[in-house]
Amino acid sequence: MKPVNFSRRNFLKISGLAMGGLALGVTLTSCKQAASTAADLQPSAFIHISPDGDITIYCGRCEMGQGISTALPSAVADELEADWSRVTVLQGDADAKYGSQKTGGSASIRTMYIPMREAGAAAKAMLTAAAAEQWQIPAADCHARMNFVYNKHDDRKLAYGELAGLAATLPVPDKPVLKTKDEFNYIGKALPRHDQDEMVVGKRIYGTDTRVPGIKYGAVKHVPVYGGTIKSVDKTEALKMKGVVDVIEIPRFAHAYGSIGAVGVVADNTWTAQQALKKVKVEWELGENQVYNTREYKKQLVKNVESPGEELYSRGNVDKALDAAHTRHAATYQGGHLSHSPMEPMSSLVWVQDDRCEIWAATQSPVDIQEVVGKYLDRKPEDIIVHVTMAGGAFGRKFKCDYVQEAAALSRAVKAPVQLTWSREEDTRTGYYHSVSAQHIEAGADADGQVTAWLHRAAFPSIDSTFDPLVDRPRKDDLEQIDNHPFGIVNQRIESGLAKAHTRIGWYRSVYAIFYGFAVNVFTDELAHKAGIDSLEFFKNIYDNNPDPELQEQARRSKGVLELVAEKGGWGREMPENHGLGLAVHFSFSSYVAMLVHVEVVDDEITVHRVDCAVDCGQVLNRDGAAAQQEGAVVMGLSFALYTEVNFKDGAVVNSNFHDYPVLRIKEAPEVHVHFVESDEAPTGLGEPGVPAFAPAFINAIYAASGKRYRSLPIKPKMV
Amino acid sequence: MTNSVTINGKLHNIDVNEEMPLLWFLRDTLNLTGTKYGCGKGICGSCMVHIDGMAERSCVTPVSRVSGKTVTTIEGLSDDGSHPLQKAWLANNVPQCGYCQPGQIMQAADLLAKNPSPDEEQIMSAMQGNICRCGTYVRIKKAILTAADEMREA
Repeated sequence: MKPVNFSRRNFLKISGLAMGGLALGVTLTSCKQAASTAADLQPSAFIHISPDGDITIYCGRCEMGQGISTALPSAVADELEADWSRVTVLQGDADAKYGSQKTGGSASIRTMYIPMREAGAAAKAMLTAAAAEQWQIPAADCHARMNFVYNKHDDRKLAYGELAGLAATLPVPDKPVLKTKDEFNYIGKALPRHDQDEMVVGKRIYGTDTRVPGIKYGAVKHVPVYGGTIKSVDKTEALKMKGVVDVIEIPRFAHAYGSIGAVGVVADNTWTAQQALKKVKVEWELGENQVYNTREYKKQLVKNVESPGEELYSRGNVDKALDAAHTRHAATYQGGHLSHSPMEPMSSLVWVQDDRCEIWAATQSPVDIQEVVGKYLDRKPEDIIVHVTMAGGAFGRKFKCDYVQEAAALSRAVKAPVQLTWSREEDTRTGYYHSVSAQHIEAGADADGQVTAWLHRAAFPSIDSTFDPLVDRPRKDDLEQIDNHPFGIVNQRIESGLAKAHTRIGWYRSVYAIFYGFAVNVFTDELAHKAGIDSLEFFKNIYDNNPDPELQEQARRSKGVLELVAEKGGWGREMPENHGLGLAVHFSFSSYVAMLVHVEVVDDEITVHRVDCAVDCGQVLNRDGAAAQQEGAVVMGLSFALYTEVNFKDGAVVNSNFHDYPVLRIKEAPEVHVHFVESDEAPTGLGEPGVPAFAPAFINAIYAASGKRYRSLPIKPKMV
Repeated sequence: MTNSVTINGKLHNIDVNEEMPLLWFLRDTLNLTGTKYGCGKGICGSCMVHIDGMAERSCVTPVSRVSGKTVTTIEGLSDDGSHPLQKAWLANNVPQCGYCQPGQIMQAADLLAKNPSPDEEQIMSAMQGNICRCGTYVRIKKAILTAADEMREA
């Protein structure tokens, strides 16, 4: 780490904020976790201590409900010995000084935990040194606690605010000493979210809430089929409406994060824009993806995985082992497209002026907004000012900024700041969807039920296809969760099946782990039942069979969460009639999660009574936030296990709103009990890893309760 | 004045197209952005407000319908965030993204006004129309029970 002390003047130069006191920025140069990122030389954390002792910590990572703007600043505050009640967390604008602000892959805590702590520790060391200088005693005779530095020789103390000015003139320590675990004030505790008091009074500002003088409001209607174009637009009726400013064509912008093409209306308010949009007569050229019908496409994917595919990985000799197997089993698993559908639809406010472009957006990646809007306006990325607002949910969708580029198009056309909030219908129909998928697994076992061969075929439109239209099947990287899976199976082969994309495919919370976790866990449960071996024992055996030294940690920690969840959830206990327990475990985004689900099945009615969830994410930074992510993962997992699926007909999305994309509601939300593995390992993120374990545990529980085996999600699709 | 509405104790003229849903009048005309747009069809509950004390979905309520009436939004539920539900929401760390929570709280306030001692079933029935995509439902249930306890003791 290379901390940088911004004296008042330097800081002013950098941030444009008028502040006294100590302002500290910290770079990531010696941080091993981040050593490979392009942001190495950039300060990643900003702490400001004002003369009155108020502390401001800037969070560069984007907040969308996962709690990162509490978790990371609390790590700074802990090392700083800050009084949390004096700390204000502010969201950083798009700026290279924060390092990578791309918030995805459950990576924030994994990469930022140590740098954040080092930033706090450096500031504390400087404040302590300032007190030592004032008292003319060695720094070792001073200690910092809760916004004060104490003199060990007597009762004297100096407040951080009093010391900030002097501290700002002192050198920044190269290697600040970090606390030991027993010294933590906030890390590992259940610190409440810093922003929830604003939320419960309606004062938290989201992407859709920014208001500026002269604001206009937009509404858009997109080309219904990906790759289609606008053929003709009749604006006459819309332009006659009172309050309408203009009707604007937004052509497709050739960037993976650009608009797919839309017609927009700008008006005095959102409602008028939406009403006027209905009066715009548009003819579309729908293009080649009109052929896309998910009903047929899914059947084709099944055919593609039930016949030989393109080999991507092989060890041992699967064919020989299958021939020699005592028993064999094969099954095919399916899942549909999913829409992220955050409660806040895609929203931003953009103001394009001749010499300035300012944006307020709910986003996961402000730097991509700078790049895309910069490219669209033919301006330098750093000239695009992006204020990151709170995001009302994102789940991967707000990584892409097509909605922001559209707001820029509207603003440029009407020369006014434009707030564009997509309607729910446009949000549902203009996604970067989770892949529709099919997987076929064939396995062979010896007379003891030990698995000797595993053939795994997968076909799904790859996310890579969004960036490169020539990609028409899963590639090697897309399948690493299978060949890197810690099951100990000597003979394994992985094949990919043809799956050309006909829509934009994107990252959806936990991404491919959703369907890999599903197929691998359900199939393993099937193998256990076939072999007549208890599922928990069967899982443990298959991990124990792994001789690969590189996979030992994965195998050990996967087994660890399985055993913990089995103990806490009462695996193996006698269940009443129609009740069953199901287990699953999945490693993704560097975290381990196992779930045990208790269901009751009576005819078609399935009730989830309880979910136990065991988590190994190394050290837990915030226990309450970490638990909340698992609770949310269960609700999302149950939504797509039971109901949600996006369907296409003649190239267009059929679903439109929450009546036909029925995400889970309160009556079906189960109690979730979260258990953490006590660990001193480096902390890893939890925004995504809870999702993949739920659906397979649920499906395995249904089998235990009823004898019915589901292999295709959702199991109660809403047909539209 | 006939064409006016009292919102959070303040009288406002209704000087927009009378078909405009109350939601957009609040958000775009009055800049009261605590009331959220989620679906525009009255099926997600993010836009819940109280009209003459009853929970209503502002996205499907034409502004003409509130003429002469009293509207309370999340900003006016209490002066300082001290409504028992707001406190209970904090005590139970309910919000994740928080976007749906104003609507959840307004719906829950309606429930507790009618039924000070709801059981879990009654809570779920009352809250079934409010979607939370982050999945905070179990905490919402607990927070309503917490608030009900406090309101009974008060």
